[in-house]
Amino acid sequence: MKKIFSYVKIYKKSAVLALILMGLELSVELIQPIIMSIIIDEGIVGQDFQTIIIWLSVLIGLTLLAFAAGIVSSFFAADVSQSVGHDLRRDLFSRVQDFSAVQMQKLTASSLLTRITGDVTQVQAFLFMFLRIMLRAPLFIIGGIIMAFTVHVQLATILVIIVPVLLLIVFWILTEGIKLFRRVQVRLDHLNSIIRENLLGIRLVKAYNRNNHEQLRFNKVNNHLMDDNKKALQLMELTMPIVMLGMNISLVLLLWFGFMEINIGSAQAGEVVAIINYATRIMASFGVFGFLLMNFSRGKASATRISEVLESKPSQVIPKTDSSIANIEGHINFENITFSYSNMKRAALKDISVQINAGETVGILGETGSGKTTFLQLIPGLYKAKSGNLSIDNKPIKEWGRAIRDFVTLVPQEGFLFSGTIKENIAWGNEKAQFDDIVRAAKDANIHSYIMTLPDQYETRVGQRGVNLSGGQKQRLSIARALLANPTVLLLDDSTSALDANTEQRVLESIKSKSCTTVVVAQKISSVMDADKILVFDKGCIVASGNHQELIGNSPLYQKIYQSQMKEDGLS
Amino acid sequence: MRKNRTQDVTTSRHYQGVKVKKPKISNLNETISRIWMYMSTYKSLFIFVLLLVVVSSSLSLLGPYLLGVAVDEIITGIEKTNLIIIIAILIGVFLLQSVTTWFQNYWMIKVAQHAVYAMRKDLFSHVLRLPILFFQTRQNGEIMSRLTNDIENVSRTLNTSVIQLTTSVLTLTGTIIVMFILSPLLTLLTLIIVPLLFVGMNWITNRTNRYFKQQQHDLGDLNGYVEEALSGHDIIKLFNQEERVKRDFIEKNQRLKESSYWAQVYTGFIPKIMNSLNNLSFAIIVGVGGIFAFNGMISIGVIVTFTAYARQFTRPLNDLANQFNVILSAVSGAERVFDVMDEEKEDKNDVEIKNRKRLKGKVEFQSVYFSYGQDDNTLNNVSFIVNPGDTVALVGPTGAGKTTVVSLLSKFYEVEKGKIMLDDQDINKMSRSGIRSQMGIVLQDSFLFDTTIKENIRYGRLDATDHQIITAAKSANAHTFISQLPDGYDTILDSNGYEISQGQRQLISIARAMLADPSLLILDEATSSIDTITEIKINEALTKLMKGRTSFVIAHRLNTIQHADLILVLQEGEVIEQGTHKELIKRNGFYAQLNASQNRAINE
Repeated sequence: MKKIFSYVKIYKKSAVLALILMGLELSVELIQPIIMSIIIDEGIVGQDFQTIIIWLSVLIGLTLLAFAAGIVSSFFAADVSQSVGHDLRRDLFSRVQDFSAVQMQKLTASSLLTRITGDVTQVQAFLFMFLRIMLRAPLFIIGGIIMAFTVHVQLATILVIIVPVLLLIVFWILTEGIKLFRRVQVRLDHLNSIIRENLLGIRLVKAYNRNNHEQLRFNKVNNHLMDDNKKALQLMELTMPIVMLGMNISLVLLLWFGFMEINIGSAQAGEVVAIINYATRIMASFGVFGFLLMNFSRGKASATRISEVLESKPSQVIPKTDSSIANIEGHINFENITFSYSNMKRAALKDISVQINAGETVGILGETGSGKTTFLQLIPGLYKAKSGNLSIDNKPIKEWGRAIRDFVTLVPQEGFLFSGTIKENIAWGNEKAQFDDIVRAAKDANIHSYIMTLPDQYETRVGQRGVNLSGGQKQRLSIARALLANPTVLLLDDSTSALDANTEQRVLESIKSKSCTTVVVAQKISSVMDADKILVFDKGCIVASGNHQELIGNSPLYQKIYQSQMKEDGLS
Repeated sequence: MRKNRTQDVTTSRHYQGVKVKKPKISNLNETISRIWMYMSTYKSLFIFVLLLVVVSSSLSLLGPYLLGVAVDEIITGIEKTNLIIIIAILIGVFLLQSVTTWFQNYWMIKVAQHAVYAMRKDLFSHVLRLPILFFQTRQNGEIMSRLTNDIENVSRTLNTSVIQLTTSVLTLTGTIIVMFILSPLLTLLTLIIVPLLFVGMNWITNRTNRYFKQQQHDLGDLNGYVEEALSGHDIIKLFNQEERVKRDFIEKNQRLKESSYWAQVYTGFIPKIMNSLNNLSFAIIVGVGGIFAFNGMISIGVIVTFTAYARQFTRPLNDLANQFNVILSAVSGAERVFDVMDEEKEDKNDVEIKNRKRLKGKVEFQSVYFSYGQDDNTLNNVSFIVNPGDTVALVGPTGAGKTTVVSLLSKFYEVEKGKIMLDDQDINKMSRSGIRSQMGIVLQDSFLFDTTIKENIRYGRLDATDHQIITAAKSANAHTFISQLPDGYDTILDSNGYEISQGQRQLISIARAMLADPSLLILDEATSSIDTITEIKINEALTKLMKGRTSFVIAHRLNTIQHADLILVLQEGEVIEQGTHKELIKRNGFYAQLNASQNRAINE
């Protein structure tokens, strides 16, 4: 909340103006009952026509004033809430861009998306309301009581006693109610997750004949949901009857004591009417408390989630690209590297030492979770090793900073496309690329002939609102994107897995002709068989290394993999 | 509000603010009468609630009137005892008003929640019994939305809107009538605000629509961009493009700020107009009413009554249209729910047969025909015989009808022409649950529930002991990796928990099938890339699982096919070749060609 407030401060002027205008509106409503008492006492009871006319015009004038104030406040309040929303989005987005891969993993893309979109909208709506409506109800209650005092002290005392009691009761009901609603939400989430599971796994449910089992599971939660929902709603519905009763009782008391006061001549009829009017208006103000509290707690939750992102420091500010380095050789050296993800107990990489010479092609095999991907991701510095030294061209990776990414390119397994044209996607890393180069990269990645069959060829739109590409096509586009960057070190993270054997071979061959240092993670031995060196990973360690012939000779694990694949492949 | 966990990046695109949907209702009367059916468990209570609404609305009219009378009496000078009587009546009225208001709401919630409970239950039970075809032809998101949002909508509306709408209508008409009786002239003057309200609202909505559309567009654009930038975070880093992405974002952010500014300014006018009209009516009642009172046309008490009434009617006037829309949208939601309930169940003709014997597993297709809807035949004259315990490999291009064959066997669909015999008995004469209780299934996507590994395996046989579960996991080659997980068998498999690989998921679903100990087995091999070592484990486990059971395998792996007792080669819904691997190779037909081309690719 504090963090958000510092953003509002920038638009102090508009915020203060909006609040002042709100106060103006409020004062008009607070004055109305007093004018009413004057009209009654001096005009009607005192038989003075002039007074009535004068005060009628005043009332209309004030109405117009309040109207103008309300309209103008809308501009200022919208300015504050939209500007703060804009700034929050800007800072959130740029902060997230500076996040390391580790931070990304911790906060997850989907949660960050809700924070940047949904939560900011929530805070915006909250601010807008805060500046215009939120303070109104509490201020009106306080102001109303104060005004009542100026009208008639003894009678106003009744309000001072009853209103706080009611406020306490209402507050208690609301806090209890919000607690109960939170439980309802949990039940609802649970119920929905059962429904979702059943939809996704409907074949399984049917095949295992688990209708009754699922129905029972559903009924149980459905039952809880109904009970909790009833409890929460029925409690909340207590608010209005209690407030009505309390305020109506105060009306009756006002009548009674008003009558006594008038009888002894220490009060006038108009004054009693005015205080009754304050009481009815205060009652109406109570109605919005539930709404306010709900919004407040929602806004607060959103604000906390936003602050969490804004206050998390980028783990280490990576130095900018150093344009003075023209090229590198591509010699990679891992020395006793150990790495573990924060959310896992077991180290992902344990004491890895390996040398990759410039221009070499290295293949990596291993089970899922054996550390292959992590190994690759350390090279461009997406993650930082816990211990050990990783250097490229004998310069530690820390000293390279972001500059290393101009020479090292990693192609992830899942081909990721941005919305835009195919051309833009291939040229994504390099906006100034020539069309010829783009085509050459596409040809190298074996995707050119497919692109030419599309309606708009290189101008065909892909991504969210464009044509759907298959996994293999996406992978090839990603490879083309990487090749266009003309990397010295190319890292392929199983990025040919969705290609058929023929195409894969062609792509790998054209990569081979590039003479860059290449590290290929693969599932099939056939994809890495020709590599200068093959590393076999198991549970974060390199358990075997050497070329194909050597490994066939000395690694039982490699033999096992080879035999199973050859058995399959060679069935013929 | 907490969203469902898995509704992540893709669905959050809907997070684009409020959209005003015009509810579409094709059969209002029928839908309402069906909602009524659900409420009729508490029919008398509901009628009583409506009666209470009438009482509480009348009392809310009586209160301000009596207040005015009391004020007049006080001004004109009244006997203490008379005032005590009026006050006693007032207390009675106020007390009764609060009590009736509370009870009407209390009971309405009871009626509504029970109705919604029953609707949810019926809907879910119906959905579980719908044929697979229903789920194939619709998007999960859409069904999901009917089961969750639409019902929630009905629930919320039944809770409050029914009472609110009746109260609004009653108080509005009641207030105007009583006001007319007290002073027709002052009433007419007060009603000036009604046309003003409509003019004002019209002016605003005409303007906001345009800005809202623009805002919606800009917001969608921005959110889409954020989504992309977040899921492509690694790529952005790898290509050193952070600055460019920030620059693009700033541009979109600015555009959004401008369009939403005006949308917000205009919507901000609405409550202010309402307020000002309230103020105006107050000025008219007090000022003009004062003039009337001065001339003796009305009493001061009438002014007091009117000020209270005026507050009572401006709000319902504004709410009325809203509430009506809310109710209509709930009705249209209910209609969508009932649409699902009107879908035909798959087991409508099923008879429950008790005491089933264990099947031997002989399967025979006799000239089976099948098609989805009006399309060409998906299966065309398919015939084959499988002996108990044999393994059948289904081979052929996508869309050839492999999945349809196994789906027909599990009675997910019904045969159009021809017969399927199971242990020499027509499956049309067997119940779905009878067949499925002896059938195990391992699907491509290896669906697992968001619960512990143990419970996921237990799904195969609900009464299995932990020991039996571990035994099943061991023979499915899953025990080793499970025991390495931090919580072992109690590891919860959801997106917040420990991530296990696709291959490991498959091992768990094999363990599940192992535990079920079925006599018929259906296997859909995964095409997705699974690492070699896990694949070896899967193959071993499957071989164990298939032993002694009649197994149908939708095969992608050549070694499965090679070892099958029968290979069915399907093309465009027809079995074009069948036999063992050797026989088919010898025959030198489609299969032999397929085989050769695959080998060439590998050896190249």
